[in-house]
Amino acid sequence: MRKRNFLTQINPLLKIIVCITILFVALLLHDIKAISVLVITLLTLVLVSVRINLKIFAYVAIALLIFMAISTWLRDFHISVISSLRLFAILLPTPLLASTTSPSDLVRAIQAARLPNFIVLSLMLIWRFLPVIQQEAQRIIEANWLRGINVVRQPRQWFSGLLMPLIFRIVAYADDVTVGLETRGYDPQAPRSNSQPLRWQLKDTIFAVSAAAIVIVVGYLEWVA
Amino acid sequence: MKSPWRLRDYVFAAFMTIGMVIAVFIVGPFAPPGLQLLFWAPLGGIFLTLGMARLQRRGSVALMILPLAVLLGLISPIISLYLAVTVLVTELVMFFLGNYRRKINRLWGNVLFFASANLGGLLLGAYLIKGSRADPFVKIATQPGVLILLTVLAGMAGIVGWWLGESAVKQLQRAGKMDVDV
Repeated sequence: MRKRNFLTQINPLLKIIVCITILFVALLLHDIKAISVLVITLLTLVLVSVRINLKIFAYVAIALLIFMAISTWLRDFHISVISSLRLFAILLPTPLLASTTSPSDLVRAIQAARLPNFIVLSLMLIWRFLPVIQQEAQRIIEANWLRGINVVRQPRQWFSGLLMPLIFRIVAYADDVTVGLETRGYDPQAPRSNSQPLRWQLKDTIFAVSAAAIVIVVGYLEWVA
Repeated sequence: MKSPWRLRDYVFAAFMTIGMVIAVFIVGPFAPPGLQLLFWAPLGGIFLTLGMARLQRRGSVALMILPLAVLLGLISPIISLYLAVTVLVTELVMFFLGNYRRKINRLWGNVLFFASANLGGLLLGAYLIKGSRADPFVKIATQPGVLILLTVLAGMAGIVGWWLGESAVKQLQRAGKMDVDV
């Protein structure tokens, strides 16, 4: 069961807007203090709101160290620190948004953004079935291991050993999902109803004001101070 | 005006998009930086061809790529812009060539998509990204020879994707899973 923390209860559309704003700001920053403030804030939010697997944490730390080492070797340490911090600032909003927004909230946000129905349906299906198809790919790889073939290390086998079985599974899933939606009377052209429409709450105001304050502080450090 | 698309088309397009995303995960660790699209095209092209073969109408590429553009917009709006431009170029040319019913049109669709994706990606990278991160893109974009070579290579990678995709279509037809005339 998803933990109900502060960020989980925030309007998902607002979270998407804040994430996009942070991405734009992160791309514009060059001052080490300004990027540090942004990264520390985001990192604190991620550590408080997201349950991080230690293995993933270790992978990220190693990848970042390698990135910094290569960057320092190619240029200098100062630029490598700025590049690493900027990379962090660009990457952190995504897990924060993904882990504090349920698929249904995301769909509600997309619907509220008045996107065409086919895009809403496609996003819903991608969000729901991407992990399932990933698991299928993993199962196919494991089935090949049982036959003594390591598909991952043999690109020649990718098409016949991995992709063809995966294509058959994907086509089968597509047909099953179509039948499932049709039997439930789903019509992509019909106007959608929503039992829980998005509403602006006090928490959203607090979140929006806090996000704006952080962006102002970061902007002050970058362009004024 | 009544939409020519049916529910099964939307669902199939969404699953082909998932296939393309999975192809990114498969190729990702092996592709050198800057050449990801060249490595992705042969695998991504399989799903693009399958989608074209099943959906057949104009707009099939847009149906598969636009949701991806919206989703990737959460990572960077530049990616959305880049994918939208690529889709626009492909569909605009394909509008005059016809639909995706014929193999040759699917081949054109693949070549156009991957070549324009490569060219658009490099040009957008060079002129939209600020600071030192744009340097590798600027270096390529300011050398017309390299730019043309990479675009041609991307088109050729798209041809490989089309060829693999057509053989997948054939196998699906043999197995009775592709119930359209292609």
